[in-house]
Amino acid sequence: MSRLRSASNKLIAMSLFLGVAALGSAWPWSASKEIKIGFVAQLTGGDSYIGQAAKLALEDRIKELNSRGGLAGRQVQLITYDSRTQPTEVVAATRRLIEHDDVVAVIGPEWTAASIPLGPISEQAKIPVITTTASNVKVTLNNDNSVKPFMFRTCFIDPYQGFALADFAYKDLKKRRAAFIYDVGSAYSMGIMQYFEDAFTKRGGQVVAKEGFQALDTEFRAQLSKVAKTNPDVLVVPVGTYRDIALIAKQADALGLRFQYLGVDGWVNDELLTLAGRELEGAYLSSGLSTADPKFKAYNENFLKAHNVKATIFAYYALDAMYMLEYAITTSVAKVHKVDPVAIKNELENMKDVPVFTSNLTIEPKTHNPHNKPIVIMAIRGSKWNISKTYAPAD
Amino acid sequence: MVFFLQQLVSGISIGSIYALLAVGYALVYSVYNFTNWAFDAFMVTGAFAAFYGISLYAMPFPVAIAFSIVMTVALALVTETVAYRPLRAHNAPRLFMMISAMGASLAVVNIANLAFGGSFRKFPEITAGAYRLGGVSVGRMDLFAAGFACVMLCLLWLFLERTKFGLGVRASALDTVTAGIMGVNNNQVALIIFGISGVLSAVAGVFFGAKYAVYPYLGTVTIKAMIGSIIGGIGSLPGAVLGSLLLGILETMISSYISSVYRDLFSFSILVVMLLFFPSGLMGAKRVVKL
Repeated sequence: MSRLRSASNKLIAMSLFLGVAALGSAWPWSASKEIKIGFVAQLTGGDSYIGQAAKLALEDRIKELNSRGGLAGRQVQLITYDSRTQPTEVVAATRRLIEHDDVVAVIGPEWTAASIPLGPISEQAKIPVITTTASNVKVTLNNDNSVKPFMFRTCFIDPYQGFALADFAYKDLKKRRAAFIYDVGSAYSMGIMQYFEDAFTKRGGQVVAKEGFQALDTEFRAQLSKVAKTNPDVLVVPVGTYRDIALIAKQADALGLRFQYLGVDGWVNDELLTLAGRELEGAYLSSGLSTADPKFKAYNENFLKAHNVKATIFAYYALDAMYMLEYAITTSVAKVHKVDPVAIKNELENMKDVPVFTSNLTIEPKTHNPHNKPIVIMAIRGSKWNISKTYAPAD
Repeated sequence: MVFFLQQLVSGISIGSIYALLAVGYALVYSVYNFTNWAFDAFMVTGAFAAFYGISLYAMPFPVAIAFSIVMTVALALVTETVAYRPLRAHNAPRLFMMISAMGASLAVVNIANLAFGGSFRKFPEITAGAYRLGGVSVGRMDLFAAGFACVMLCLLWLFLERTKFGLGVRASALDTVTAGIMGVNNNQVALIIFGISGVLSAVAGVFFGAKYAVYPYLGTVTIKAMIGSIIGGIGSLPGAVLGSLLLGILETMISSYISSVYRDLFSFSILVVMLLFFPSGLMGAKRVVKL
């Protein structure tokens, strides 16, 4: 009888314990609960190099944060899903992060076509999404130019990149005949081409050829031969991945064709210099960031040592997003005393001169774009990046 | 005229890579009536094996190709033994084998992606530069790859036509059940076929990697090889070579004279037209369900 009573006491105690534990875990924003941050990244698929370094960088940062006590006294957990470089997967993963994993914010995705559908999803769920390198204006703005309230980004926007490149080609390089090889399925590629063309022709330049290709194509010889027939003095290649420009430059070289190449931030990866540094000698490109910037030297070295892969600008952008969230979570908790996604969004919207990984950042409340983010024009010389000029939007 | 000839040379060089893979497709199809979707996995294995053979172990190029062939053939034989043979033993429908092949492909490609990372690697330069023939540029690597592909295909032809094992493969391709009754060991034939597919995909992977770059998803090009194989007449080895070369040339001409944007639309339209109106392709024979 006493054994039975003892067993029943144990059962009651266990039930009470489980009940309290269940109550604790169900209680919103319980003090013991980790702060969950979602990350949707290209970890597999043709452009998986983009997400892989960013994931490592975020994991390192969160480990460091947690070892210092976390954010607002709570540990931080990163929940990562692979987008497989498919917009539909991005939508599914974001919904899962919001509806199933209870994240307070989402970092990613990295490209425009996948980011645009997240506008209504983030607004409905009231969860902020910070895209890293999706640079089309429609990522954060509706068609009537009103802001998508929960969409943010860490990079600059395409119109400005198109303008800076066109201005540089016309004024600094004194080029007058531009040709394009562009990705027909990429809003990013088409957007920059359009903005470049507008700015270049406005200054008196002429566009002599536009040749498209499909994502993951490896053959560009037909396009290169066609472009060469139009005798351009600058070949603009607005592509989102360094593989494309590496193959284009190598195949042009094999055909004996020489171009003055002009590129975009999608080119920026140190592997490009290994793949086609010789063929791209003298090329110029624009970027918001450069791995060659001396301020990242120590970080790059430590990253390489820890992971045996090189840090990329995609890792930097993801870290910027993380730093933005760290700021927004800390300041919002100080104001509303709880981790509230709407309060986080309000803090993100009103960020002013906040130090993030790459620089100080101000977000424009009306566009949710970084304010006055400078553009660096880099040259490839001796298979190395060389910073040639810096544009600020006020220029 | 120079422009046309340049496009023709480019088209042949693209088609020669398609041809190596298409012959592998045709060979498997000719015996088993199913499309081996795992070719991209074989190709990736071949490219990575040669890349790491050269860059980590300083293997000379011929040794690296041999190493690549050994690794890829091993994978091809494991795939046949693990993914296909049990299904054949249970008389599973062909669809199941294709699904099994897709699974093998996904597994290998994603393991490569996880193990090596998704970045694009420069294959150590074997031969660079180009020959200039009257204004037409012919890449040394293209010439080497096309020549090597020709040699491989000739060796394959000799093997199939002049050896006892080749006779067994041809007998199985003609009628697998009867060949089995007549004493041909079908499991041995399967190993031979997959071994040959492994050799061809390894070579295609190495040359693709050397011409473009080495990365886990380089096998996406195999879809074009399959189209080449269908144009030529799926199951026909000469047809696979002819179809692939034609596809390579036509794709380049479309890109050059119409628009590069329509190139894939054109390729897949040919596939639809061939399947609708000429399902046996240019050189294929009418097929019946076997095995």
